[in-house]
Amino acid sequence: MSIMRINVGPIHPGTHGVLKLVVDVDGDTVKNVEPHIGFLHRGVEKLMETRMYMQNPSYTEKLDYIAPLSWDDLYINAVEHALGVPVKEPAQYERVILLEFQRIASHLLWLGTFVNDIGQLFTAFMWCFRDRAKILKLLEDVSGSRMFYVNLRLGGFNKNPPEDFKERAYALCDYLEDKIRGYPDVLDANSIFMERTKGVGVLSKKDAIAYGVSGPVLRGSGVEEDARISHPYYVYDKIKFKVPTGSKGDSYDRYRVRYEEMLESIGIIRNALANMPDGDAKGMQIRLIGPIAKPDHIIMREELPRGEGIIYMVPDKQKPYRISLRSPAFINLAVLPKLAEGGRFADLFSIIGSLDLIFAEIDR
Amino acid sequence: MRQSGFDYLSKITAIDYNDHIDVIYLLYNNDAKKDEVVRTTLKAEKLEIDTVIELFKAADWYERELSEMFGIKIKGRNTKKLLLELWNGAEYPLRKSFVWGKDYKRLQ
Repeated sequence: MSIMRINVGPIHPGTHGVLKLVVDVDGDTVKNVEPHIGFLHRGVEKLMETRMYMQNPSYTEKLDYIAPLSWDDLYINAVEHALGVPVKEPAQYERVILLEFQRIASHLLWLGTFVNDIGQLFTAFMWCFRDRAKILKLLEDVSGSRMFYVNLRLGGFNKNPPEDFKERAYALCDYLEDKIRGYPDVLDANSIFMERTKGVGVLSKKDAIAYGVSGPVLRGSGVEEDARISHPYYVYDKIKFKVPTGSKGDSYDRYRVRYEEMLESIGIIRNALANMPDGDAKGMQIRLIGPIAKPDHIIMREELPRGEGIIYMVPDKQKPYRISLRSPAFINLAVLPKLAEGGRFADLFSIIGSLDLIFAEIDR
Repeated sequence: MRQSGFDYLSKITAIDYNDHIDVIYLLYNNDAKKDEVVRTTLKAEKLEIDTVIELFKAADWYERELSEMFGIKIKGRNTKKLLLELWNGAEYPLRKSFVWGKDYKRLQ
């Protein structure tokens, strides 16, 4: 049969943003996929060189609009290391709690849209969004806004958490654990979901390392690697948690890893809440900063919901001289041709869904 | 490096210092859980570097990005196909000689 070339996107509901794919198909079999990116390019790395340190969080937040706090925290953490600002202890615990809530919210949105990509299953979509809204409400009450928080300051937060923060966080943990444990009733028990994820888009352990993927995609292929353990920041080294891994590296394993990560995150939040000391969590209200300490470069790694995010920063007096962002979704997308090759055309969108892509972060 | 167990390439990036460009490779060893940073300096007159795609498949998109953003020639592979496809291939936006406000408007 002759090979047909199909253009998909850049506006397509299955691509979760502006992704253009040029797909060569032989009948229903995918022979080659070529992703075209860059439709959402703003030149964030260049822009950040022109702004002062504390003006930049608004850019880092928009890198990932599903989990803005994670990127924001990675940037602030890098600046704190560059300038030598210590983080207050209550703030460290509060950051861990909020980051883990953010991770659960991000995974919930992913799960909802992923099952939607596969077809039917609108129940799970509504469940995920219902539970995510509860997390966003708590984050809104802590920070003051629902999506783009910009509540991190050097050394802490812009304000202390509300007085009933701990009780509400505990109650939310109980609620989420109960609800999340119910998801497999509509997912794992559903034959459509299982047929379309088991054995689809298999990435072997060797390839996962060679292609440099990270996060749930890497762990789904059986590599036990998590920046929270290998490069601990804040109080993650004081908290014990498991790193869930898959065995086959297919879409189902990637779903399973994220699902178990949500439960682990709840454990981390409970642990951090129990150990969180009382006290002031307010950071500095400084807009102009001189060179307090000036190292050659800073490499900051954090485990974002999508994988390992790295900021390579060369600090200067008032502004960063150069900021390089390692976006986990960028390199997870680069592996798509490998995953989709030889599979069915319909599975292409299920594979894109399982990678959890954010194009604001890929195109930068 | 590859032989000594550094099997994971986290990122390739570059910094422009006007008279030279530093290319930085962030490597990671998955078994020993160790990091390594490899830094090479390229003179402004001769911006060429060998490809590492045979050692790390992850280098594919990073090298295309380097070539597009800094105008570094990657020896041993074709990087004519741009990654972000935004710039015309003759301007290198992440170089310091590219002034943000002025040059951006000119390209519009």
